[in-house]
Amino acid sequence: MSAPPNAPRLWTVCSALARVALMNALQYREGFLVEFFVGTGNVVAILLPLAVIFDRSASVAGWNWDQSLLVTGFFLLQSAVMGGLVEPNLGAVVEGIRAGQMDYLLLRPVDAQLVASTQRVAPAKVWDAVAAVGVIGWGLHGTGLPDLGAFAAAFALLLAGILAMYSLWLLVICLSFWFVRVDNLRYLLGAVADAGRWPVDIYRGVARVFLTVVVPVALATSWPALALLGRLDVALTAQAIVVSCGLFALSRWAWLRALRSYTSASS
Amino acid sequence: MVAPLIEVEALSKTYRVPVKGEGLSGSLRSLWNREYRDVEAVKNISFRIAAGERVGFLGPNGAGKTTTLKMLSGLLFPTSGQIRIAGFTPQDRAVAFLGRITLVMGQKQQLLWDLPPRESFLLNRAMYGVDPVVFKKTLDELVTMLRIEAVLDKPVRNLSLGERMKCELVAALLHQPQVLFLDEPTIGLDVEMQVQVRKFIADYNQATGATVILTSHYMQDIAALTPRLLVIDHGSLRYDGGLIALAERVAPERRIVVKGGPKELSELGFMEVDGDQIATLTPEETNKRLAAVLARWPMVEIAVESPPLEEVMARYFREGA
Repeated sequence: MSAPPNAPRLWTVCSALARVALMNALQYREGFLVEFFVGTGNVVAILLPLAVIFDRSASVAGWNWDQSLLVTGFFLLQSAVMGGLVEPNLGAVVEGIRAGQMDYLLLRPVDAQLVASTQRVAPAKVWDAVAAVGVIGWGLHGTGLPDLGAFAAAFALLLAGILAMYSLWLLVICLSFWFVRVDNLRYLLGAVADAGRWPVDIYRGVARVFLTVVVPVALATSWPALALLGRLDVALTAQAIVVSCGLFALSRWAWLRALRSYTSASS
Repeated sequence: MVAPLIEVEALSKTYRVPVKGEGLSGSLRSLWNREYRDVEAVKNISFRIAAGERVGFLGPNGAGKTTTLKMLSGLLFPTSGQIRIAGFTPQDRAVAFLGRITLVMGQKQQLLWDLPPRESFLLNRAMYGVDPVVFKKTLDELVTMLRIEAVLDKPVRNLSLGERMKCELVAALLHQPQVLFLDEPTIGLDVEMQVQVRKFIADYNQATGATVILTSHYMQDIAALTPRLLVIDHGSLRYDGGLIALAERVAPERRIVVKGGPKELSELGFMEVDGDQIATLTPEETNKRLAAVLARWPMVEIAVESPPLEEVMARYFREGA
């Protein structure tokens, strides 16, 4: 036998996958325009109830209007990243398992989770991200600019929260190796994640633990806002790291287990 | 003796499938009380294959051919038994193993549907870490061999089935795999395209020394491509050997066909079929009868045929072990 092939470099693989994902997505440019209006409408729909509440009260659970805008902004940013980079892929995996199209993904000498998580993008979600940054800017206009360290901490927490939510989605997807249809679970997860748009302090007891540990969407929404407001302590930061790394490790383990049960729907 | 490239020992795969009662009531019942049934897709199969061999898996639908192929390529975990390919255990899906094999499935596709085949090739180049210079050379060779220069930049969805299959082969071979698993590579293709694909696979095996393992429903694929045959039936290995030897064993008889022969041939045991006189005989009797015919009618057009391979295999599967 001749020498084994060069171990593919991660960067080459990722950029090739990103290229294909973008080319695929850009085929449908009408969608790009539609997404702009949908995204704008979405921002208005999310801000409206917030405006109604703060019209009657200056502060809710210790958060004022400007501070709540930060949470909303991070929620929109989290949604944009999940909707643009994560959800299209995981949806494709479910379909691939049902139809047996996962075969070729598993045959490539590249980590299957990496390929499964990066083959699709929805670039139109960039509108949502732009709107999200706008909302955060609006909030900061009222609260005042924090220092650079606070920005870095907020960004790191946002990433940790997104990693945790990605891991959670992957766990749901893993279930589809056994149950094939997990659409309802995906909708449920989406609905629960929606709770992250409100400052986490409005939730008490079990609900609060749920949103910071089990479906830790608050890690990506309220906590980055707290970081920008200089109200985040070491304990909360450590919790964010432990929860997101723990969920990621769990999802990785589940993914590797799930591959063993892949049945490759018959050709 | 050279160590075999592929060693399969007591390989089995059992699927657990839900059993659903008939109709709506059955569906409702299976909601809370789901019963399962074990389906033994592959049962205790053992074989060895040397490097560079061309081997055909043959069997009726649902015999376990594709399941075996998917276990060999690492897609499915065996329920029990061992597989070693070039020192690797396929289900570990080691990077070095996956870089050495390829699997082409006639009924599935790896090409990116909305983009031209060239993009799929470039993606595979990155995934398999193929050197750009080697990539260009291999691509040029494959494209020339398969004559697909014209379709490289058309979206895959606009290609004909035959063009798409050829592009699938290119995508599968760009990393120069040493083991080719081909699952029904000619399915749905017209006769001319089948011949081209067969010739390509044979030429590729000759040129590179790659090992080829093929499943097919078309006997012509097997007859033209794979000197060695593994017959899988109901999940078990029933035969391992040459196609001719199997045909001789199952259907040793010969057919003498006298084109437009005289009716008097019936005296020698011939029957008229579509204006020709035909007699089916054992190989020993064939020569004697041939001599007898030629002695009386030296000028007739005469042919001696083996039974068609499809007929031989149909009989083999019908008659059981």
